[in-house]
Amino acid sequence: MKKQIIVILFLIFTSLQFTSVFAQQRFPKPEFESGHTQPPTLKPEARAPILEYLDIVVLLVSLSLVTWLVLKKRSRIGVLLMSIFSIAYFGFFREGCVCSVGSLQNIVLAIFNPGYHIPISVLVFFAVPLLFSLFYGRTFCAAVCPLGAIQDFFLLRPVSMKAWVQSVLGVIPYIYLGLSILYAATSTDFVICRYDPFIGIFRLNATFMMFVLGGAFLLISMFIGRPYCRFLCPYGVLLNLTSRLSKKHLTITPAACIQCRLCEDSCPFGAINKPVPAKVAEDRKTIIRRYSWMIILIPVLMFIGGWTVASFHETLAKVNPKVRLASIIHENPTILDEDTSIDIDAFRSSGKTRAELFTEAADIVSDFYLGGWISGAFLGLVFGLTLTKLTIIRYRIDYTPNKGTCFSCARCVDYCPVVKDKIEIKTLKI
Amino acid sequence: MKPKNILILSVILLLIVVGFMAGDFFFSKGPNQENPYEYDLTKQKEIDSSLICYQEISSIKPETDYLYGIATDENDNLYVAAIEKLFIYNSTGHLINTIQLKDNAYCLTVAPSGNIYLGMADHVEVWNKEGNQLQSWPGISDSSIITSIAVNETSVFVADAGNKVVFHFNLNGELQNKIGEKDTENGKLGFILPSAYFDLLIGRDNELWAVNPGIHQLESYRSNGEMITSWQRTSMQLDGFSGCCNPSHIAMLSDGSFVTSEKGIERVKIHLPTGDFKCVVASPDQFIAGTTDLDLAVDTKDRIYVSDPKKGLVRIFEKMNK
Repeated sequence: MKKQIIVILFLIFTSLQFTSVFAQQRFPKPEFESGHTQPPTLKPEARAPILEYLDIVVLLVSLSLVTWLVLKKRSRIGVLLMSIFSIAYFGFFREGCVCSVGSLQNIVLAIFNPGYHIPISVLVFFAVPLLFSLFYGRTFCAAVCPLGAIQDFFLLRPVSMKAWVQSVLGVIPYIYLGLSILYAATSTDFVICRYDPFIGIFRLNATFMMFVLGGAFLLISMFIGRPYCRFLCPYGVLLNLTSRLSKKHLTITPAACIQCRLCEDSCPFGAINKPVPAKVAEDRKTIIRRYSWMIILIPVLMFIGGWTVASFHETLAKVNPKVRLASIIHENPTILDEDTSIDIDAFRSSGKTRAELFTEAADIVSDFYLGGWISGAFLGLVFGLTLTKLTIIRYRIDYTPNKGTCFSCARCVDYCPVVKDKIEIKTLKI
Repeated sequence: MKPKNILILSVILLLIVVGFMAGDFFFSKGPNQENPYEYDLTKQKEIDSSLICYQEISSIKPETDYLYGIATDENDNLYVAAIEKLFIYNSTGHLINTIQLKDNAYCLTVAPSGNIYLGMADHVEVWNKEGNQLQSWPGISDSSIITSIAVNETSVFVADAGNKVVFHFNLNGELQNKIGEKDTENGKLGFILPSAYFDLLIGRDNELWAVNPGIHQLESYRSNGEMITSWQRTSMQLDGFSGCCNPSHIAMLSDGSFVTSEKGIERVKIHLPTGDFKCVVASPDQFIAGTTDLDLAVDTKDRIYVSDPKKGLVRIFEKMNK
């Protein structure tokens, strides 16, 4: 419970950073001196604030309903129906935005860029699923996230995956999370949104490349359950961490496990912990030695990770448009006179000098150096903790969902023959 | 297919997708050579050759670095305003006089009397063909940008892009009235002039024709400032005009048709007196891209003269015999 309180306090503290939530006009209308009366600019009506609050209400209601369906009703059908609703509302109607997965970047940008004001809806979409996850597991992933729901519908012939393959591929979301935070913090790009594979499908409008990307993920989804959620989603990393602390997580059996093994292969996401038979306990000396090694190894891994990523900080920084432009001009100073690219044109018309551009770019590269150390250290920490976890054998007697990776989709509950309260087996009633 | 193979293929595809995303993000961002907001006029510059009704028969190359304006007189002499010079050519294209000016004349016209009216930056000068300065009128105002002059038997009309109005003078340079002033209370938009392109001509009935380039309109006025008629053709196609300030220049043929030239899309066209498109005199591919100041003049044989400052030529077009 202490951990949950700490996480709640952190979220409340983070929320307090964003007091101003109103949008601002970024580009003032240019003024012409010809005396010509500027006709009013025609633009789509801004989304009414009431609809923004409607999104929040829909999110809260959906999350509450799914959580109730999963934990109380243990209804897979209910989860399926809610998935359809989420695809329809958050997917096709809201066109995939606002989205909890991408909101992570808005939060990071708001923290590192005081000039950026984050809308309240984005803040809620970021924090509320994490709060639910903290108490009830990843019920958001179960049927509220349209990205997960659409993949779930394509899961036609699930193929089980070896644990080590899952572990290896499972590193990708951490790298993705580190990079997306790095690029959002430096105001470079919203990588998660740029490469959201399903946004084009929800909007029925995307570049060919994005349609191919979305199609590829859906094709993979037919055999590997929720590939984006498991092996790419950076927000899933946060949900994974908070969900591990949840006390009221979905259970496979509503009462005592009878070890019937019917649920053993029911999870297409490999998120069921199987019983581990008790062995002879290790002696205290061995445990202390192992933990000592880990205490030394984790900081070393963090340092190696930080040093490695920081070494590539210039390469990473070249994604930033300003750094890229400075690099091009530095390599070919005459390009300013001859090139007609939009970047060069924009720089020319900005009136800035090369020295100013180079100074700004150098500052950004410096930020990437620091960010590289932090991101690399984070990855080293993840790697170290994963190694530590592998060395720890947790003895289990029951089949239980892995709280971190379980999407609370409630597939497994249908396989369990135990009936709640009565402690009897369903099949016996027949 | 065996589940194991399906799994291997799926994992490989997943890794390819992730690799593609990483590659696209890190390595496919060279300098952006394409401007997605660029005003692409390629299609508009394509002209159906069957619509071309004039052909270029000759050209004159004055000894100057830039051409500001051209005019013809009733004897088909050609007058070319250039950098601090005025060149006069006879109808066969031979140079008959070069007049040295103190400053640049940015526009000119020849009165029925034979006097040459030059529009300097802010004032009008009157010269004769022999090179004698007859008059130099006082400057109109500090903000004046004289872009065109039209003269008939009794009046001199001066288009002032700076003041966005046509000044009506008598032949002695005395101001009579202003034409086309903005009067929003009475619904008069005035001349919309985003840039200094504001051309005039005298019609067949001695009426004044002025271009209102911001709204792609030609307007005719009586000398008292009363509007007679107008026609407007805003179109991205060949049948009209587009952009901020077109047509940039006009001239009139003997049948009352209008010859028009444009900036942005370098072309010369003929519009009927009603304003409807008739045919093309010169297509964009006959000019260097970006050519502006295509001033126009028409002689008594309805030959069309086009000043082409980029090539430094006065190009002469004659109607094709189809």
